[in-house]
Amino acid sequence: MTEPLLEAEDLTVQYETDGGMVTAVSDASFVINEGEFFGLAGESGCGKSTTAKSIIGGLDPNGQISSGTIRYRGKEIQDYTEKQFNEELRWKEIAWIPQSAMNSLDPLQTVSEQAVEIGTVHTEMSETELREQLKEMFSIVGLQESRINDYPHQFSGGMQQRAVIALALFLEPSLIIADEPTTALDVIMQDQIFKHLDEIKEKLNTSLLLITHDISVIFESCETVAIMHASQLAEYGSVDAVYANPRHPYAFMFKEAFPDVREPDRDLEVIEGYPPQLGDEIGFCSFVDRCPWATEECREAAPELEPVDDDDPRHVAGCFRKDEAYEMYQSNRLSSQSGDSTTAITSEDD
Amino acid sequence: MTGKPPLLEIRNLRKYFEQNSNIVDMLLRREPNQVQAVDDVSLTLEENESIAVIGESGCGKTTLLLTLIGLHDITDGEIVYKGKSISEFDKPDWKRYRRNVQVVFQDPFNSLDPKMTIEETLQEPLKIHGIKNREKRVRDVLEHVELNPPEKYLHKKPRNLSGGEKQRVSIARGLILEPDIILADEPVSMLDVSTQAAVLKKMKELIEDFGVSMIYISHDLSTVSYISDTVNVMYLGRIVETAPTEQILADPKHPYTEELVSAVPIPDPSHDRQRTQMSGAPRDPVNLDEGCRFRDRCPAVIPPDDIEISQEAYREIIEFRELLQRDEVAFERVMNTIDKSYPDDRKMAKAIREDYFTHDLTGENGAVLNEALIAFANEKQDVAVKRLQERFKSICETTPPTVEDENGWCVACHHYDQNVADLQVEQPKTAQSD
Ligand SMILES: Nc1ncnc2c1ncn2[C@@H]1O[C@H](COP(=O)(O)OP(=O)(O)O)[C@@H](O)[C@H]1O
Ligand code: SF4
Ligand code: SF4
Ligand SMILES: [Mg+2]
Repeated sequence: MTEPLLEAEDLTVQYETDGGMVTAVSDASFVINEGEFFGLAGESGCGKSTTAKSIIGGLDPNGQISSGTIRYRGKEIQDYTEKQFNEELRWKEIAWIPQSAMNSLDPLQTVSEQAVEIGTVHTEMSETELREQLKEMFSIVGLQESRINDYPHQFSGGMQQRAVIALALFLEPSLIIADEPTTALDVIMQDQIFKHLDEIKEKLNTSLLLITHDISVIFESCETVAIMHASQLAEYGSVDAVYANPRHPYAFMFKEAFPDVREPDRDLEVIEGYPPQLGDEIGFCSFVDRCPWATEECREAAPELEPVDDDDPRHVAGCFRKDEAYEMYQSNRLSSQSGDSTTAITSEDD
Repeated sequence: MTGKPPLLEIRNLRKYFEQNSNIVDMLLRREPNQVQAVDDVSLTLEENESIAVIGESGCGKTTLLLTLIGLHDITDGEIVYKGKSISEFDKPDWKRYRRNVQVVFQDPFNSLDPKMTIEETLQEPLKIHGIKNREKRVRDVLEHVELNPPEKYLHKKPRNLSGGEKQRVSIARGLILEPDIILADEPVSMLDVSTQAAVLKKMKELIEDFGVSMIYISHDLSTVSYISDTVNVMYLGRIVETAPTEQILADPKHPYTEELVSAVPIPDPSHDRQRTQMSGAPRDPVNLDEGCRFRDRCPAVIPPDDIEISQEAYREIIEFRELLQRDEVAFERVMNTIDKSYPDDRKMAKAIREDYFTHDLTGENGAVLNEALIAFANEKQDVAVKRLQERFKSICETTPPTVEDENGWCVACHHYDQNVADLQVEQPKTAQSD
């Protein structure tokens, strides 16, 4: 086995607020391998961005890693200082494509000036070399090389997004963390960007931690998916395993909530209620108030991630009833579909 | 058919803006640019019908909506409500129209007044229109949008509601005057997927229960089937295709619709979707000439009849010519790849050709391209463009007519000049001419 690129183990991240401690990530464990596209999904506020920021030391000032470890190529980095992150990891090992990529370029500098500045801080490369590297990335993301000397406002929205991606990639990092990189874009532009990311992966064997609320994008573009609900990792495994054999009630309901243009008539799942307030300790399943299969047990302790019995050895789910809930769900869905039609008939009779 | 006019008819509507000039324009005293945001759009909304307008951001959807509610002057064309053109509206007409046409906006976080309780928010329009029996109407409408029991919500402020609840309040506010028409601009795009479905379902039911009609505006094709029976696809200010929702998803006709449908991600890892073949982004809708708006990106752009050229080779020429016209050919970069000690226009032309063209062109096609490139190398860009235009003129540079079949399926693309059914899909992939 080769060494994993990134490992998070029992990661807990908290924010200090006026109302007390808020736990944004609770006991999360996952592994990202070299050349792997890893998707992290869940609804807004579930802790996706916090997870990502904790990996590169980018938490807001009131946030902290309270417990757990993060290892990059085997080396613990959860206690790294700003200086260590800058010298060893940022840009050249781990690059970041932020959620609002559009605003992340400095409007007063050309893209190549920004690149040279970053490159001079983080590498030994000369200015000419840096410009050459940036040009190469521009052409990979489908921008004209000559445009490296443009100011951000000279690009359209979609081009800016690609310029940001080129900038994140130009020092050839091993891991890219992209937080909702295409959420503001239309599907065609989104597809163009993923086409470039596919190419980059092929050429450079780069890994990607893709954060998105859109599981369709992950199912299409990633090998691995992790689904989070209110600070807890509900389930993770290969996209095929999680798709075919989901175990955590949030995971399978979430998956069924997504529309599929191939089946425009399918009933979409609706997940009632909303996530709980997250205090200092999350000693329960955070899905308990919304889960149709919840029992008392689910309020008394937080479920641990446990292996799911299928042919994906990495597939785990954190639910006390993971072996029964999905079966009940499926038989329920079938009977409620036939139930629906009977109600329709009766009401027409009235 | 009865003689009753449709609820709302949009006829050849145009909305142009003058673009704010920048400092250079002012110094050079240039004419302000025309932004052709909505360009010859026609739509009909019947009673109790829900239609969608789908397109990428910037295609003119929101301008269309704002023009419909009278926030923009009309540049040309007509909006006809129940048989009367809004340009002929008097004051009472406008009041009636404003009451009967309601908007639900994209962002429930900004469209509700944070200082007002839900009850105040919903009472306000009733007060404005002097409607009695307000308390009961507020409760009823909350029940309809499933904010139950109403008492639980009446005294809350927006900040104490989840995103889905806020959007239900906006919908309730849209419904409370019992309008004929709801215009919904991306009403669920800010919501989490688990609530999106519920809100869309609710809207669809309300259309049926209240007998409302709706124009649903969105960039998202994946959920449109849950709310609208008919889809209009918009590109750069124009409607390029109109068809029943399920049909357009299953069998898009217009090349742009095809690209749009095929770029929608499929939530299934075993489905092997091809990534889009399109590059670039839509042009700015500024000072557009005649012709199909999609021709600079269209994978099926039509070569002239009288020359023999493969589809792919033709596409390259059209794309290059567009770059040339927009002054976007990277001349310097290409020049850096050659030995500059002897500036030789043939060498320069060759370098550009090698950089921008992957398909071989022989015979007259190749000769014309070469002439054009040599002109370009000599900084005679106009000559280059003209040369390419003369030889490689496409029918797509004329505006495609909208053809309609008996089921109301409309397409505006030269591949369908005669008939909606008759796409000659495969372009001739002939060998090069000589
Ligand atoms: N700086 C902060 N201070 C306090 N709470 C925060 C801060 N940043 C995020 N949070 C909270 O942490 C939780 C997780 O947020 P986030 O990681 O941004 O989720 P996501 O990216 O999945 O939307 C949310 O409850 C959010 O309100
Ligand atoms: S069954 Fe219990 S542990 Fe499993 S998801 Fe539901 S509430 Fe959580
Ligand atoms: S008219 Fe021509 S350019 Fe426009 S969509 Fe049809 S084939 Fe493409
Ligand atoms: Mg986030």
